[in-house]
Amino acid sequence: MKATMKRMTTTVFALGMMSGSLAAAELRFTIWTGNEAHLKMLNGFVDSFKAKRPDVTVKYETIPPGDYTQKLTFQLAGGNPPDAGWLMEDAAPTFAAAGVLEDLAPALKKAEGYDFADFSKPALGLWTAGDKVYGVPFSTSPFVIFYNKDLFDKAGLEDPNALAAKGEWNMTKFQEVAKKLKDTTGKWGFEFKDGQGYDTRIMHALMPPIRAAGGDVWADKQCGFDKPEAVAAVKQLHDMVFKDKSIVPPGEQGDYFSGGAAMTINQISRASLMPKAGFKWGIAPLPTGAGGESPVIGQAGIVVFSAGKQKELAAEFVAHMTTKENVAAAAQFFPPARKTVLDSDAFTKSNNLIPPEQMKVVADAIAKGKVLPAHEKSPQILAAMKPRVDALWRANADVAASLKAVCTAIQPLL
Amino acid sequence: MAETLSIRDTARREDAPWLTLRMREAMEAWLFISPTVAGFLIFFVGPLIAVVWYSLTEWNLLTQQATFVGLDNYGDALFRNPDFWHVVRNSVIFAVGLVPLNMALALLLALALSRRFAGVIIFRTVFFAPVVTSAVAWAIVWRFLLQGEAGFVNQILAQVGIDGPNWLREPNWAMAAVIVTRVIKMVGLNMILYIAALQAIPRDYEAAARLEGASGWQIFRWIVWPLLGPTTLVIMVITTIGSFKVFDHIYQMTGGGPENGTLVLAYYIYQQGFQFFDVGYASALAMIMFVIVMVLTIVQLALRRRDT
Repeated sequence: MKATMKRMTTTVFALGMMSGSLAAAELRFTIWTGNEAHLKMLNGFVDSFKAKRPDVTVKYETIPPGDYTQKLTFQLAGGNPPDAGWLMEDAAPTFAAAGVLEDLAPALKKAEGYDFADFSKPALGLWTAGDKVYGVPFSTSPFVIFYNKDLFDKAGLEDPNALAAKGEWNMTKFQEVAKKLKDTTGKWGFEFKDGQGYDTRIMHALMPPIRAAGGDVWADKQCGFDKPEAVAAVKQLHDMVFKDKSIVPPGEQGDYFSGGAAMTINQISRASLMPKAGFKWGIAPLPTGAGGESPVIGQAGIVVFSAGKQKELAAEFVAHMTTKENVAAAAQFFPPARKTVLDSDAFTKSNNLIPPEQMKVVADAIAKGKVLPAHEKSPQILAAMKPRVDALWRANADVAASLKAVCTAIQPLL
Repeated sequence: MAETLSIRDTARREDAPWLTLRMREAMEAWLFISPTVAGFLIFFVGPLIAVVWYSLTEWNLLTQQATFVGLDNYGDALFRNPDFWHVVRNSVIFAVGLVPLNMALALLLALALSRRFAGVIIFRTVFFAPVVTSAVAWAIVWRFLLQGEAGFVNQILAQVGIDGPNWLREPNWAMAAVIVTRVIKMVGLNMILYIAALQAIPRDYEAAARLEGASGWQIFRWIVWPLLGPTTLVIMVITTIGSFKVFDHIYQMTGGGPENGTLVLAYYIYQQGFQFFDVGYASALAMIMFVIVMVLTIVQLALRRRDT
């Protein structure tokens, strides 16, 4: 009798626990960053969400950027989908076409004071189809030049911002400055984004100079790598690597963030690495070319996965993350696609690491820039490009022929 | 109350006369091994059958849509995809480079280190240590050592007046580099197998041969080498299989590049399945690889049988 009573009490207790855990929902949100400052800001959004939804917690799960899309795909395919997450621009068309993204339009319409029209139209291009909204742009981050002011001073050179102010910051000057930096300081003049320009970040390495020269990697399903503008731009890079020896060459390490290179190209989310760098630094616009100013933007959105079990709640959280107020708060790391935030003083003053006049560079670039190219078959295109681009990065390479080979390889996929 | 077992309990129970001792023992035996059998079926046989099925479908991991396409994946790989044969060629080059080098080096080391002398344990440990080192750490260290101009290897070469290549950025050199670094990593394992085999050879044989006036080389050629035969075969089979399956090393060192120069079969399968999410095609390639490795193993075993 006593034993039966005990068993019943335990069961009732266990049931009570279970119902309690059902009411308190936890959302799982995948993201590429594990940076403390980023996560602190993101957790701030959870705290403010709790005002409306006291029982909800959100767990951010960091997946390193190199493996991000792949691991996310496995989670989806393996029946363990996150509720929501970050999605990079190159994966957006593939995921949208596969039908794994939830339409957020209803949730955004329902959200109070959301003002969807405030998002700039070009920034939404990748994320909308008709009335459907598959993601909300969360980072519309132009590529900028990060420079090491100390090395510029040591070489007795004017820094890129000073040159830009005089209207002299173009690709010719860029090449000249990089060479002088290398010759006088012994450090590399320039490093491709995250030192990955020959491997995973081929596009980030080639795209900015090609656009500056007035070309494009592809447009309207036509490969642009073998067009004269692109060939000229890549030839110049090739000279910088192998003749001037001012760009960190393939197979070598020369990390900007630890002082190994005087300039690099990156996005302002990386500014969070700078306080530890131990040198004076700044950000400047990309050098101009024959095509004039042509900023390049990398974009990411936040999405809700159709396979998730708490889609409505997740969509509500996405709407909360992208209100005017929260977009403004995120702007210090992840530049906004909301026009009101972009035009505000608050944006240029948002980043305590970057002075307002340099944040202006970012705002200008967002206004004038074009997003990196994305394609439903991005992984295949990159894999097809890779061996031909490898051939390009040899000292005795025929640049025009290599770029022609790139086009031959990717044209069928485009 | 203390329980005692009568012979009736252990041998046969009245209410279940069919449950003989033999039968009961058999059931117990199956119960004891059932966890292993279940594991084997679920984690080994199951996936193996699944791969055969997947290879007959066009299955996109992301959309989760699978359509039956019969032997199309095989046909495409074998007859329509030029990359496939390039990749097979790379795998063969890798194996042909790695297997003899690995075995020769393992044998030399074993011959040197099979005798007891002061410090022999230290030497054996040094050569075996890379085997237990993490493959990722190994590859990262070598990537640093093999950098273009600033790399340690090239700086050493420069000391003796040789202008070393940019090892991992030129297709042929990259293949040579991944083979050699893989050999250094794995040679210790084969060395240990050879040492064990050498120590199992009775010393009397050698002593007898010496009395007959045999030279060191003659002893090796006519006594040691034939007696090492079975070990050599095992080493050859496992090293060949291992070289066709190599993935982690390539993934970390070169990512299949440059110019697809080190794109081997296992890495290509990974690319199809886990980068392009085309699981059906990747499964068909995996089946082809399975057949290649099996045929090679059978050939090696048959050659050995003919020899003896």
